[in-house]
Amino acid sequence: MSDLDGAVELLRQCRPIPELQVREICFKAREILIEEANVQIVDAPVTICGDIHGQFHDLMELFKVGGDCPDTNYLFMGDFVDRGFYSLESFLLLLCLKVRFPDRITLIRGNHESRQITTVYGFYDECIRKYGSANVWRYCCDVFDYLALGALVIGAGTSVQPTRSADGDDIETRVREAEDEVEIEVIGLGGVVTRQMLRREAGMINSTNLTPSALPHLSSSGPAGPLLTGIPGTGASGNSRGIATPNNAPANTGGAVLCVHGGLSPLIDSVDKIRLLDRKQEVPHDGAMCDLLWSDPEEIDGWGLSPRGAGFLFGADIVKQFNHLNNLTLIARAHQLVMEGFKEMFDSSIVTVWSAPNYCYRCGNVAAILELGEDNSNAVLRSGGEEVLFNRENTRRLASTYMGGSMKRGGPGRRYRVFEAAAQDSRGMPSKKPMPYYFL
Amino acid sequence: MSMTVPTRFLIGPVPTGADKDRVVQQTDNDALLARWSAINSGYLEDTFTEQLMDPLLKKERRYPLINRGTYVRTSTIDRLVADFLSKPTKSMKQIISLGAGSDTRFFRFIPGQSRPFLYHELDFPVVTTRKIKSIQQGQDFILGMSCFGEPNIKVDLEAGSLQSQYYYIHPIDLRTVKPGSPIPEHIDPTLPTLFISECCLIYLSPNEADDIFRWIVQSFGQASETKSNSVGIILYEPIKGGDGFGLTMIENLAVRGIVLKTLHKYSSLERQIARMQALGFTSGNGACDINYIHNKWIEAREMERIDKLELLDEREEWTMLAQHYCVAWGWVERGQQFEDTDHTPFRKWSELLQQEDIGPVQD
Repeated sequence: MSDLDGAVELLRQCRPIPELQVREICFKAREILIEEANVQIVDAPVTICGDIHGQFHDLMELFKVGGDCPDTNYLFMGDFVDRGFYSLESFLLLLCLKVRFPDRITLIRGNHESRQITTVYGFYDECIRKYGSANVWRYCCDVFDYLALGALVIGAGTSVQPTRSADGDDIETRVREAEDEVEIEVIGLGGVVTRQMLRREAGMINSTNLTPSALPHLSSSGPAGPLLTGIPGTGASGNSRGIATPNNAPANTGGAVLCVHGGLSPLIDSVDKIRLLDRKQEVPHDGAMCDLLWSDPEEIDGWGLSPRGAGFLFGADIVKQFNHLNNLTLIARAHQLVMEGFKEMFDSSIVTVWSAPNYCYRCGNVAAILELGEDNSNAVLRSGGEEVLFNRENTRRLASTYMGGSMKRGGPGRRYRVFEAAAQDSRGMPSKKPMPYYFL
Repeated sequence: MSMTVPTRFLIGPVPTGADKDRVVQQTDNDALLARWSAINSGYLEDTFTEQLMDPLLKKERRYPLINRGTYVRTSTIDRLVADFLSKPTKSMKQIISLGAGSDTRFFRFIPGQSRPFLYHELDFPVVTTRKIKSIQQGQDFILGMSCFGEPNIKVDLEAGSLQSQYYYIHPIDLRTVKPGSPIPEHIDPTLPTLFISECCLIYLSPNEADDIFRWIVQSFGQASETKSNSVGIILYEPIKGGDGFGLTMIENLAVRGIVLKTLHKYSSLERQIARMQALGFTSGNGACDINYIHNKWIEAREMERIDKLELLDEREEWTMLAQHYCVAWGWVERGQQFEDTDHTPFRKWSELLQQEDIGPVQD
């Protein structure tokens, strides 16, 4: 497409593109997306992003913080549209990038990528307002139906390369020894490293939830609590399927990470079952596909009813069992506003990533993206003599190998970059800018 | 020689007192539109709201969380009002709605009553004039005023006042009301009286708001030598301006010129309760945030009905928003030794916090 770059240029300025071009781009995007699996395989390194919700200027801020596409490999976990004022520009920009660099950006479906929800939460009205007809909304909804339901990130390393901080005093970190690995790093506002946690201590934090202290005034969590060593037999400990662990197995792989917008479903006990779904449809009101896009983790045992009216609530036991059965080390999901931008739960077996700062121009929250680094040890190729074909269709086996080789707790190294809403003057808001509603 | 001032300085960016008043007056349109949306979406039943709407107002459906918040706000105040009305008293009861704006409670409550009550609405003259015009055009309003006989409606459109048998609209700038201020005509301070401030006193300065409390407690609910009496108040207003959400709220409203003047002083449930206690509503008082009320007070069947109306996708946002608004109440009874019942109409409110699991929740 000759003028795709032109469209990207226009959209980067937050300007809508002609209707005919939208149709063309949506058509092209559909051709690409139709080839993608329900669970798209993505190689680390990758930067995982949560909800955007039409906050275009904050999406630009995200690219500033995380790097441009295609330099950075991106995975967006849905909810591109609704609520914000620029759903159209945000979604079309991401879609153009998808068409332009299909292997450098992965888009999966959120619960707002639906005809029904967009008519309630703003995207439909925005299309009517900007184009005078529902055509563009229809083109976009047709693309929504082809978006993948999830992604599986493979090849992530167990640690992140520590970032040097300008102000070392801010870092909550123990004295690092040569062999220590940084499992979690938090880059707070202004690019300052606010937290580094080493693998031996991060491995089992004696608290169910880790929240960042990226913003001291927002965070209630102090330094990590008392530390335990990994407990074999839990999903988080890695090798627990009884797979023989070769002594010379790789120790540097972070295992597979499942990315999905909402969460798990009682109808889905394996990643393979997601692969069997027929996804090319409007998001149903119930069933597995609906649950993947609507569910939330919660401090409960087992499953619970969701107050959202769709999807389910699921507890730590569900996540740990799912990860264990599917050789996952982590589930990354979005869908829920978290004031600190990200929130790890259930012994770091699941994380919520939220990428819409000051959500709805009202909530006063910061946002985050999650970077998973590459496994630099080239572990696959020297995995105890077992020959593993780097076959995209063979991910299950691949994931097993990754997990089987993990001697320490098998979670990937994670770098969270926290960012704030774009400055007001960069928004180019119309002078009569719409107000978030309050009760007056 | 007179100084000439360029016109642009006269109409310059510094808002005048009148501009600021207009901003506050316009908040009633927000409340009206929000209520229209909640009614239109099936949360509330109210045939009067639509008839009060300026035809030029753009009718836009609000997001589900705003509808839900409007529902909880309206139904909770309704419940407290119904409690007050349900308890029989010797004298007729009286309700005074401060900054009433487009309040429709008189018309919604009067048809279901076995005995009439007095309802007084106080607001800026521009607001009351507008409302009276709408009322004159709607047959339903006349019917409401005629529930207990010939209404004898008298309207002074220029002044913005309406009198009828039981329903009154008074054009009053509440900032002029202080301890010792005269009681507006037709308001009877000897009757058991309920005051309602639905997002009203928060726009006054802390001193002005406190003065209205003092005026109420000094002038109303006083026992006589032969008769007991009581006065109570219901507040609905924002709290917690100090966290991320609260600071953003203050900032966003400031863009519209809206200042929540008492928010800092009465920033928490505890402070709202202390306010009731300190300013004289000492027989009983309490405060709960809307999130708590939503989770604890709404009956399961009603909640099921509400949940079916719309998907509430904005769950976390809802919780946060709802935690930033509260309903507070308080009352004072005087002359309990008398055999009449005029000191008792608020007693049902004491049940609000009696259940073990009910009480203000702090996070």
